[in-house]
Amino acid sequence: MKKVINFVLLAASMSAGISATASANSLDDLLKQVKNDRISEAKLDKKREAEFLSARADKQALLNKAKKELADQNARNARLTKEYAANEITLAQKEVELDNATGTLGEMFGVSRAAAANAYGAISTSIVSAEFPGRGEALNRIANAKEIPSLPDLEELWFALQTEMTQSGKVSQFTAEITNLDGSKSTETVTRVGTFNLLSKDGFLNFNDELGQVQPLAKQPAGYISSTASNFFSLNSGYAPLYVDPSRGAILALETRKKTLSEFYHEGKQVGYGITVLLILGCLIALERMIVLGAMGAKIRAQEKNMEQPNENNPLGRLLKVYHDNKAVDAETLELKLDEAILRETPKVDRGINLIKMFAAIAPLMGLLGTVIGMIMTFQTITLFGTGDPKIMAGNISLALVTTALGLICALPLILIHSIVASRSKSLLQKLDEQSAGLIAAIAEKESK
Amino acid sequence: MLFLIELWESVRSFIATGGDVLYVVAFALLLMWVLMVERFWFLSSVYPKMRDDIVNRWNAREDTTSWYAHRIRDTWISEATELLEQRLLTIKTLVAMCPLIGLLGTVTGMIGVFEVMAQQGTGNPRLMASGISMATIPTMAGMVAALSGVFFSSRLDAKVKLAKAKLIDSLPHH
Repeated sequence: MKKVINFVLLAASMSAGISATASANSLDDLLKQVKNDRISEAKLDKKREAEFLSARADKQALLNKAKKELADQNARNARLTKEYAANEITLAQKEVELDNATGTLGEMFGVSRAAAANAYGAISTSIVSAEFPGRGEALNRIANAKEIPSLPDLEELWFALQTEMTQSGKVSQFTAEITNLDGSKSTETVTRVGTFNLLSKDGFLNFNDELGQVQPLAKQPAGYISSTASNFFSLNSGYAPLYVDPSRGAILALETRKKTLSEFYHEGKQVGYGITVLLILGCLIALERMIVLGAMGAKIRAQEKNMEQPNENNPLGRLLKVYHDNKAVDAETLELKLDEAILRETPKVDRGINLIKMFAAIAPLMGLLGTVIGMIMTFQTITLFGTGDPKIMAGNISLALVTTALGLICALPLILIHSIVASRSKSLLQKLDEQSAGLIAAIAEKESK
Repeated sequence: MLFLIELWESVRSFIATGGDVLYVVAFALLLMWVLMVERFWFLSSVYPKMRDDIVNRWNAREDTTSWYAHRIRDTWISEATELLEQRLLTIKTLVAMCPLIGLLGTVTGMIGVFEVMAQQGTGNPRLMASGISMATIPTMAGMVAALSGVFFSSRLDAKVKLAKAKLIDSLPHH
C-alpha cells in the first residue's frame, strides 16, 4: 500500500515540476515587456503634453480673432439696419410720388382691362370674327396685362370695338374657308348679316368660336326658313325677306334639333306607309270616277239635246234605244223594260264610290292601330327603363300620335272627295232613274201628236 | 281702317297660338258658309221663279193623268229636287269634317308637346304650354265651326224638304 502512495506522490511531484518550469519562462517575458512599455508610454505622454501646450497657444489666438470678427459684424448690422430704415422711408415717399404722378391713369388701367375682357368675350364669339379673324389675341393680351397698357394697345382695343360696331350694321359678302361636316374644307362665298347670321347658297352657316371655323349647320331648319337664306344669298340688289336669328345662333341650334315634316312622316313607320297607300288609292279611284262620270255626264247632256237619235255610247242613249226598239208595246211593259235597263246601268255609275268611303273610314282606324302599337311600345320601354326619363318614352309616343294624325290627314280629303264624287254620281243616277222615263214620255207624246 | 288692322292682328295672334291647323278650319268654315249662303240665296230668289214656271207649265198641259204625264211630272220634280239638293251633301260633309280637323289639331299639338319633351325633358312646363295651346285651340275652333254650321245646315235641309213637298203638292192631276 505504501508503495502505491509513494508512486502516486512521486508522479504528482514530477508532473508539477515540469509545468512550473514552463510558466516561469513566459511570465518573465511579460514582466520584461511591461517594463519596456512603461518606459515608452511615459515618453508618449510627455510628447502629447508638449503638443497640447503648444496648441493651447494657437487656440487662444483663434478665439481672439473670432471675437474681433463678431464685433465687426455687429457694427455692420447696426449700420445696415439704419440704412434699411432710411430706405423704407424713401420707398414710402417714392410711392406717394408715384401715386401722385399716376393720378387718374390708374383707374384707366382697370377700365381698359375690364373693357378688353368684355370685348374679348363679345368679339371672339361674334360672327364678324369669321370675316376678320385674329382680333381676339390682342384683346386677350390687354385683358391679362399686369402693367399699364401702352398707347398701341389702347388703340387696338378702340379699333376692335369700332370694327365690331361698324360691321354689326352691315351686310357683307366675303370668301371664307368652310369646314364641312365630313371634315373636308372648301372655300366659298359667304354672306354675313350684321352679327346675326352667316349664309351660303346652301342655307345658314354656323361660326364655331372655339375652333374659329365656319361650319354648315348639322341640319338646315325647315324649308321655308332655309329657302329665304339661299334666296337672300343669291340676291344682287334690292330687298328680300330673311329669317334672322336675333339670339346669334342659339335659335338656329334649336331649329336643327327640330324634326322636319318628312322626319315626322317616317316616324309613322309601316302603319304610316299603309295609310299613305290608302290615301293614294282613294285619290286614284276618285280621279278615275271624276273623269268617267264627267265624260258620261257630257255625253248624256249631248244626248238630251238630240233625243231622236239614240247614241249607244251613253246610258241615256241606251235607254232611248230600249224605247225605240219597243215602240209598239204598252206603257207598263215599256216601264218594266226601262227599269231593267236602268238596273243594268246603275253599277257602272256608282262603282268604286263606296270604296272611297270605306278607305275614308279605314284610315282613322289604321291611325288608331298605330296609336295602340305606339302605346304598347311605350309601355314596353317603361317596363325596361322605368319612367325616369321622359325622353326615352317620347319616341314611341310620337309614333302613336303621328299615325293618328296621318289617319286623320288621310281621312279628311277622302271624305271631301267622296262627298263630291257621290253627289255627282247621285245626280247622274237621278237623271237615269227618275228623269229618263219622263224624257222618253215627252218624245212619245210629241210623236203621237 | 285702323280697326281692321287691329282685328287682323288679333286674328293673327290667335292663329299663332293655335297653330297652322286653324287655317284648315278657317278654309272649311269659309267654304261651308259660302255654300250655305249660296243655297239660302237660291232658295229665296232663284227657286220661286223656277217653281212658278213649272207649276204654270203643268197647269197649261191638257193631259195630266196618263202614264206619260206621270213620268213627265216625276221628271220635272226630280229636276227641281236635283237643283234644290245640289251641294247639300258637301255642306253636311264639311260640317262633319270640322270637328275632325279640330282633332287633327289636337294630335299635331300633342306631337309638338312630346317633341319638346324629347328634347328638353319635362323640367319646364312653359315650353310645353305652346304645344298644349296648339292642341286645344284648334279643337275648340273646330267645334265652334261645326256648331255654327249644324243649325243652319239643318234649317237648310228642312227648307229644301218643305220646298220639295210644296212643289209636289202644287202639281195636282186634274
